[in-house]
Amino acid sequence: MNIRKYLGPLNKNNPITVQVLGVCSALAVTAQMKPAVVMCLAVTVVCGISNLIISLIRKTIPNRIRIIVQLVIVASLVIIVDQFLQAYFYEISKMLSVFVGLIITNCIIMGRLEAFALANKPVPSLIDGLANGFGYGIVLIIVAFFRELLGSGTLWNYQIIPASFYEYGYLNNGLMTLPSMALIIIGIMIWIQRTKESELQEKQ
Amino acid sequence: MESLTEIFVRSIFTENMIFAYFLGMCSYLAVSKNVKTAFGLGIAVCFVLVVTIPVNYLIYNFLLKAGALTWISAQLGNINLSFLSLIIYIAVIASIVQLLEMIIERYSSALYNSLGIFLPLIAVNCAILGGSLFMQERNFPTVGHSLVYALGSGIGWLLAIVAFAAIREKTRYSKTPKPLRGLGIAYITTGLMALAFLAFSGI
Amino acid sequence: MNTDSNKYVFLYITILVLIVAVVLSLFSIKLQPLQKANTDIEKMYQILTAANYKNISKENVINQYEKLTTEIIINNDGNVVSVYYFKNNADEVRAFNLSVAEEYQKAFDGKTDYILPVFAVKNPDNSITNVIPVAGKGLWGPIWGYVAIASDGNTITGAIFDHKSETPGLGGEISTEKFASMFEGKMLFNNKGEYVAVKLVKGGILNSNIDPKHGVDAISGGTITSQGIEKMIHDCLKLYIPYINNKL
Repeated sequence: MNIRKYLGPLNKNNPITVQVLGVCSALAVTAQMKPAVVMCLAVTVVCGISNLIISLIRKTIPNRIRIIVQLVIVASLVIIVDQFLQAYFYEISKMLSVFVGLIITNCIIMGRLEAFALANKPVPSLIDGLANGFGYGIVLIIVAFFRELLGSGTLWNYQIIPASFYEYGYLNNGLMTLPSMALIIIGIMIWIQRTKESELQEKQ
Repeated sequence: MESLTEIFVRSIFTENMIFAYFLGMCSYLAVSKNVKTAFGLGIAVCFVLVVTIPVNYLIYNFLLKAGALTWISAQLGNINLSFLSLIIYIAVIASIVQLLEMIIERYSSALYNSLGIFLPLIAVNCAILGGSLFMQERNFPTVGHSLVYALGSGIGWLLAIVAFAAIREKTRYSKTPKPLRGLGIAYITTGLMALAFLAFSGI
Repeated sequence: MNTDSNKYVFLYITILVLIVAVVLSLFSIKLQPLQKANTDIEKMYQILTAANYKNISKENVINQYEKLTTEIIINNDGNVVSVYYFKNNADEVRAFNLSVAEEYQKAFDGKTDYILPVFAVKNPDNSITNVIPVAGKGLWGPIWGYVAIASDGNTITGAIFDHKSETPGLGGEISTEKFASMFEGKMLFNNKGEYVAVKLVKGGILNSNIDPKHGVDAISGGTITSQGIEKMIHDCLKLYIPYINNKL
C-alpha cells in the first residue's frame, strides 16, 4: 500500500486550501483552540466511519438513491457525535452549538464518499476518510492557534502572553476574535503553501 | 418579541449567512467567477431557503420538539424527538430540492435552464441546513417569523455572492502575487468584505 | 441482482431507515439522562455562584445546592404560590424547572397569569440571599443570568451572566467573573425609594454623572450586548418589586 497517497490531504491535496471543500461549517468555531480541536476530531471520526460504512455496503446501494443513502448515514453519525458531546463534553458542545450539525453538509464528507468510498475497499476508504478529516482539521487548528494567541493572549485557555507584557502596553488584537479574520488567515496560509508548491498556483 | 422588520434586516446584514457564519462557502467560492451564474445560484438558494425553513419549522414545532405531540394526545406530551431533527431536516431538504427540480423542469424550461443546474448542488449547501438549524435555535413564535427569516437570509446570501462575483470579475485584471491568485485572494477578499459587513452590527 | 428495480429501492430504504431509527433511539435513550444532568448541574452552579458560593467542584454542586437552596414560585402579585424543599415535597412543581424566558415573555406581553421563580439560598450566617433568574437578548441571541439580592430587598450581592452566541472577546465578556463582580454592592432603589436598577455606562462609570450605586462600566466594543444586559436586569427585576415589598 502506498502510504504517500494517503498523506496528500495533509499538504498538496488539502481539502480546504486546495480542494476548496468543507470551508463552510467550521470556520466559525476557530476563535479558540479547544472547540477547533474537538471539531477536528468530530469531522475526522464522521468522515472515517462514514467512508467505511459506505464502502462496506457500496455494492448494495441502488445508484438512483445513493445521495440519500449517504446523507442518511452521515446524518446519523453526526447525531450520535452530537449527542455524545452533549453528554460527555457539555462545555465544548455549547461552544460548537449548531456547527456540529453542519458537519452533515460538510462537502469533504460527501465529496470523499462520492469520489472514493463508492469505488474502493473498506480499509483504504477508512484511511482516506481519516486522512481527509484530519487534513481538514489541521487547518482549523492552525487558524485557531493564531486567533487565540493573538486575539486573547491564551492557548487552550492558558495565559501564554505574560502579564508583564500588558503592563508595558501590549494589547490583545480584538480583531482576531472576529470570524472574518479566519478567512484572511487561510488566505495567508494559501499564499505560503503556494509559494512553496509552485505547481499549485492558478493561472489567471 | 422582535418585529418582522427587525428579523428581516438582521438576517440580511448583521447575521449574513456568509459573512457572519461562513455558511455555503463551498459553492460561494466555486460559483462566483462571474456575476450571471452567481446571481442564478443566489436566487436558487433564496428559493430553497424560503420553502424549506417554514416546512422544517412546522415539523419541528408540531412533531419533534419536547412536548410537541400534545396536540395528538396528552399522553404523548413527554416525548422528545428533537434528537431526530438533523436527519429529518436533511431529508426534507433533499426531497424538496428534488421536487422543485421536477416541478421546474415540467413547467418552465427557461427557468430550469437557468436554475436547474444549481439545484442538485443545493441539497448539500450548508446555508440551507444552517438556516433550518438557526431557525430551531431562535425559537420563532410563528411560522410567519420563520418565513421572514428565511427570505432575509436568502437575500443576504444572494447579496453576498453577487457582490463577491463582481469584485472577482475586477480582480482578474489586477496584479495579484502569483501564489495568491484565484483561491488565496478570494479568501482574503471575503474576509475584508466580512469586516465591512461587521459595521452593520451597530444598527 | 437488479439493484435499480423499484422493489429493491423501496425495500432498501425501508430497512435502512429502520436500522438508523433503532440505533439513534438507543443512543438517545442512553445519553439523555446524562445531558439533562449536565444542564441541571450548570444551572445549580450558576445559582450558587451568584449567591457567592464560588468555585464549588462539579461533584459537589448537587449536594451543596440541595443543602442550601429553597425554591419558591411567586405569582404576579408577589405572593408565594409554592415552596419546594429538597426531599420534603418531591411532587411539587419545582421553580427549578420553570421556563423563565417563557414566563417573562408572558409578563412583557401584558398577561397576568405568569409565575416566577426565586431561589432562596442560605448564607453561612443563616441569612437568606434571593437569587433571581433574568433573561433577555444580546446582539446575536439570547442572554441570561442570575442576580442575587440581599435580604434587605435592595442590595445586589452577586451576579452571573451567560450567553448563547455573543462575539467572543467583545459582547462575550459578559460571562466573565470580572464583569459579573462589578454588580456586587449595587442598589435597586435610590434614596427616595424609586426603582432605578443598574445602568451600564459607556465610557466608564467614573466619567459620568450617574450614581455609582446604580451603574457599572459597559463592555467596550459590546454596545448592543451591554444595552441588552441593562434592559434585561431592569425589566426582569421590576416584576419582582411586589414580592420584595410583600416579603422582604
